[in-house]
Amino acid sequence: MRSRKSIAVLLLLILPLGFSAVWRLQHQIDRQLDRAEEENDDVLLRSGKLVRVLSLEYGTFLADVYWTRAVQYFGLKRFRQAMSMDMLWPLLDLSTTLDPHLLVAYRFGCFFLAEPTPQGAGQPNLAVMFVQRGIAANPEYWRLYQDLGFLYYWELRDYQKASEAFLEGSRHPDALDWMKVMAAKIAGEGRSRETSMFLWRQIYESTKDDTIRKNAFNHVQLIKAESDMEQLDEILFEFEQEHTRLPDGFGELIRLGLLPGRPLDPAGYPYALSTIGKVEFDPKSPLAITQRSDELGRRRQSITHAPGG
Amino acid sequence: MTRTGIVAWNTFREAVRDRVLYNLVFFALLMMATAVLVGQISIGIDSIVIVSLGLSAVSVIGLLMAVFIGVGLVYKEMDKRTLYALLAKPIRRWEFLLGKFAGLLLTLTVNTAAMTVGLFLTLFYVNRALHSADLVVLTAVYFILLKLAIIVALALLFSCFTTPFLSICFTAGIYVTGLFVKDIRSFSDITGNPALDRVAVWFSYLLPNFQNFDVMGAAAHGRAVPGAIVAQNTLYAAVYCAIVLAAAAVIFSRRNLK
Repeated sequence: MRSRKSIAVLLLLILPLGFSAVWRLQHQIDRQLDRAEEENDDVLLRSGKLVRVLSLEYGTFLADVYWTRAVQYFGLKRFRQAMSMDMLWPLLDLSTTLDPHLLVAYRFGCFFLAEPTPQGAGQPNLAVMFVQRGIAANPEYWRLYQDLGFLYYWELRDYQKASEAFLEGSRHPDALDWMKVMAAKIAGEGRSRETSMFLWRQIYESTKDDTIRKNAFNHVQLIKAESDMEQLDEILFEFEQEHTRLPDGFGELIRLGLLPGRPLDPAGYPYALSTIGKVEFDPKSPLAITQRSDELGRRRQSITHAPGG
Repeated sequence: MTRTGIVAWNTFREAVRDRVLYNLVFFALLMMATAVLVGQISIGIDSIVIVSLGLSAVSVIGLLMAVFIGVGLVYKEMDKRTLYALLAKPIRRWEFLLGKFAGLLLTLTVNTAAMTVGLFLTLFYVNRALHSADLVVLTAVYFILLKLAIIVALALLFSCFTTPFLSICFTAGIYVTGLFVKDIRSFSDITGNPALDRVAVWFSYLLPNFQNFDVMGAAAHGRAVPGAIVAQNTLYAAVYCAIVLAAAAVIFSRRNLK
């Protein structure tokens, strides 16, 4: 009887102590494994042809698995603000080699590849090649021309090629009329706020994915904000001409009746006035983050395209 | 009911008694998990992944059943010595074989039909509707059944003259080789040897071409399969099964069962 009691007491001591030790150990193992996972970030089989052979007749399903892995990889890297997404291309390549008709992989994958880091992989040229591959495998799907045109227009700023892509897509019997309009407009004007707004709206309306929609929505708002900022800069310029100095802040402009109230950006955050009299976003505004990311990408791209870059 | 029909019906009943159809529970769980999870872990492939995973599961489960039950159809009867009692009755050996083939095919058809219903229910749950493009899934399921019919015929052929283990190896080997028939035909591109090319081409026509029946990609993307292919594949499977079953009947008829 006594020995039973002592076993029970012993168990009461051992179990919590033991499990707390297990809990701590598991945390340490998790940390080690997380580190190892970062280092072992790899795709073991990179040959699409080999994977296709090994997949027997289940290539379509395996393509879905690789596409899901690409989405997970992209999401994780974006969440961690990683500066490289080396595995994104092999995953997209495998998905579309296994299933060349997986349209969703071309449509989203090209944006994952093209967007500047850390929002994407920062490889717009690879994204263009990827969409062209998608067009070759699915010539009947005109939306891929829209994506190609958009990549040339927005990411590479090659308006000649953007116009050609829209024109080529507009020849498809199912293509919407605006493709032809866009081809002519870009060929004539190059980049314009109106065109950019329209293209981002098209992306917003043609996708159901929340991340892409949010990104497109932010860009639409950013373009609206650029217009607001231009108007505010004009008011500031007029004030400076009249008073030969910069205003103390927006408050002074409101008091003078030059502004009806505190100006807010389309996301609802108040605009800020810099010390040199330039209108800026509130650093907390999501539009400031989108703007910074776009500028960073543009700067990186210009370094890459510079001679010897 | 004809003698072949009686054997077929009893083969089906035996499979049901052996709880072969329990795999449907696994299939149902797989479909339910996919329906719930896929939208959360991926982008834009909800119905594509359900169709491709569903058809892959139908195919794999069917293949496992066709091979593992098929190779035991004749062997088990011999091993348990029930075959002797059966053949003492007025039934020809080829009728027995044909009955076994039809019985297993009936089992596979019932099993596949149930899985197809599950697949459509999952599609309906995810899309909240069924579209006319989803009908191509039925063509893909039909092609899987045609493929399974050839596999059963092959398994039956091997089970007439060898052990179940070897029968499994031979059937699985032919199945995998049959998926690469096109590559076998392009052997000469690698070797540059015309004689070898001719042998490879002849060999490729002897093998069942399982690539003919692979329309899972088309089904997943809702692309229609031409009616001519359906008719030609049906004829191909019927002719191939007839050849294999005839060979099996000849071997089984000459086999000394003492």
